[in-house]
Amino acid sequence: MDAFLGGMAILVDPYVMLMVLLGTALGIFVGALPGISGSTTIALLLPMTLTMGPVPAICFLGAIYCAANFGGSITAILVNAPGDPSASATALEGYKMAERGEAGLALGMSAIASAIGGIVSVVVLIFAAPMLARAAYAFGPPEYFALAVFGLSMCAAVGGDSPVKNLIAAAFGVLLATVGMDLTTGVERFAFGIPELSDGIGFVPVLIGLFAVGELLDQATRRLEKPKIIAMDAARVPGLAEFRKCNRSIWIGSGIGTFIGALPALGATTAALIGYNETRRWSRHRHEFGHGSIEGVAGPEAANNAAVGGSMVPTLALGIPGSATTAIILAGLIVQGVRPGPHLFTEQPTLLYAVFASMLAANILYLVMGLSMARLFARISLIPPAFLWPAVFVLSVVGAYGPNQSMGDVLVMLAAGVVGLLFRRTGFSPAPLIMGLVLGGMLEETLKQSLIIFGDDLGALLGRPIAMGLLGVTALGLLWPVLARIIRLSGRSRGRPA
Amino acid sequence: MTPRARNPNHAIALAVALAAGAAFAGTFAFDPVPPGLPGLGAVEFPRLVCLVLIGLAALLALKQADPIGEEQAPRIERRAWAIFGLCALFLPAMALLGMLGAAAVFLVLAGRLWGEARWPPLLASAAGVTAALWLVFVQVFRLKLPMGLLGG
Repeated sequence: MDAFLGGMAILVDPYVMLMVLLGTALGIFVGALPGISGSTTIALLLPMTLTMGPVPAICFLGAIYCAANFGGSITAILVNAPGDPSASATALEGYKMAERGEAGLALGMSAIASAIGGIVSVVVLIFAAPMLARAAYAFGPPEYFALAVFGLSMCAAVGGDSPVKNLIAAAFGVLLATVGMDLTTGVERFAFGIPELSDGIGFVPVLIGLFAVGELLDQATRRLEKPKIIAMDAARVPGLAEFRKCNRSIWIGSGIGTFIGALPALGATTAALIGYNETRRWSRHRHEFGHGSIEGVAGPEAANNAAVGGSMVPTLALGIPGSATTAIILAGLIVQGVRPGPHLFTEQPTLLYAVFASMLAANILYLVMGLSMARLFARISLIPPAFLWPAVFVLSVVGAYGPNQSMGDVLVMLAAGVVGLLFRRTGFSPAPLIMGLVLGGMLEETLKQSLIIFGDDLGALLGRPIAMGLLGVTALGLLWPVLARIIRLSGRSRGRPA
Repeated sequence: MTPRARNPNHAIALAVALAAGAAFAGTFAFDPVPPGLPGLGAVEFPRLVCLVLIGLAALLALKQADPIGEEQAPRIERRAWAIFGLCALFLPAMALLGMLGAAAVFLVLAGRLWGEARWPPLLASAAGVTAALWLVFVQVFRLKLPMGLLGG
């Protein structure tokens, strides 16, 4: 309780509150830019946090994460170009409402549903994360090894549509994590005598390159695609009748979002799409869907913002990212010298509760900002790409150079940008690579520690039920498509007449 | 009879396998591990990852091409190549003009290549963004940005 109150008290600190306010405003601003997702926003702004202390930095990143999801809905509603992939479900009904002249109402409902979803999930986070962390106290290196394998296997579902490509990207991330000095043997690996590579590949330049520069290069090939822009309308607070109509959708969305967000690797986009489907299924006005239903805005918006708090549960309690964006936040925490996991709850509880408090504050702040300044934020979507993307590149160069004042990092960022472009053009997603990079170190370290504990006999894993359970679930998850096909085929052959 | 469509997964799988094979070969160039250390050495884990990658590449080669992906990626036209080239030239420009000087020039030229024909907004935007970078990174975060040959 003391830690909880201590965390909440951090919000009284004017510097921390300023960072939360700045993070919220920047999150909405950059989230509203079409093509720049929440993960790109955080990757781009991560270098700015390096000169801050851990608490303001984490509050800043948490506020951006919460607000960027809402920012994405602004352009989804007004321009039919979701600023964030998680707002794609919102665009289905929100843009139809805007075409009907109800953009303000859609924006207002989006702000309210997002804030309710976000707050519900943070409350769940406050109670669920410590419970999960307590359960994780029983974990030793073999369990963490199994957990890292499980987290990596979940990469199959992250980002692109091809599970095999996602796993390849994750494995490349793990391989990249081996670059530099091996801490147990002191042997340099894949450094090729380049001093900058001896310490390993930095998270920041790779993140910026893959997400921001890769996206910029990809956008350069799509310069001629222009979204249709319709008349703008300031947000307005929905009336009691509209709120009553959407009440059920908001709670369905909040529940689904929190649950899906908490599952490793399933993020806000999946939550929003399932939230949209379930809202439609349970709606009394199903006929309005597809023609600009306000419930179709409320449900997915509540879901995608609820997924934010949900995805922070495994990230903070276990150190396993719940989504691509939390993988970047995890990298940001590591850069700040904070290693998420169960020990964080005993060693730095105030820091944790500061994260929860800042996320609560960010949800309230973007509700106020969204309702009062939606028209201003909507204008962001009108920034011509010819000004936006070159500025993103320049900011990326400064961001990659800044932390270590190293030209080597700028080169790594440019190389990662080229990889990001190749990934996008060949149907790969950069998100699993980042998860592989973040989890790679933990995977190798815990494997080595487990082998030392077991005297080089991995068969001793059989005596660790939690580890075996996690590895069993991993194997089942990976083999499920094959098993499902076998079951389907055997069912079909049994049903065929002789 | 129509000719069978090329499966882009084959080329991607080959590239992945070649990259993993090169990394596997690279592990033979690592320095030897000092004797007497317990557990896994320095080469086993990267080799294991390379083998996993080769296995996944083989799986990818066996898969039918996804309906999305390479086919849907737009052709890279000349201006896009020019923008890529401009990004690559940023580093040499930085060595000459410094980071802020190179940024200003880049913003104008890249904006022009992106399709903005009017000079006044291009110049104003370049000046604004460069000034904002100076203010935030040099004045607030106290970063020392490279000055380049011309900036001394």
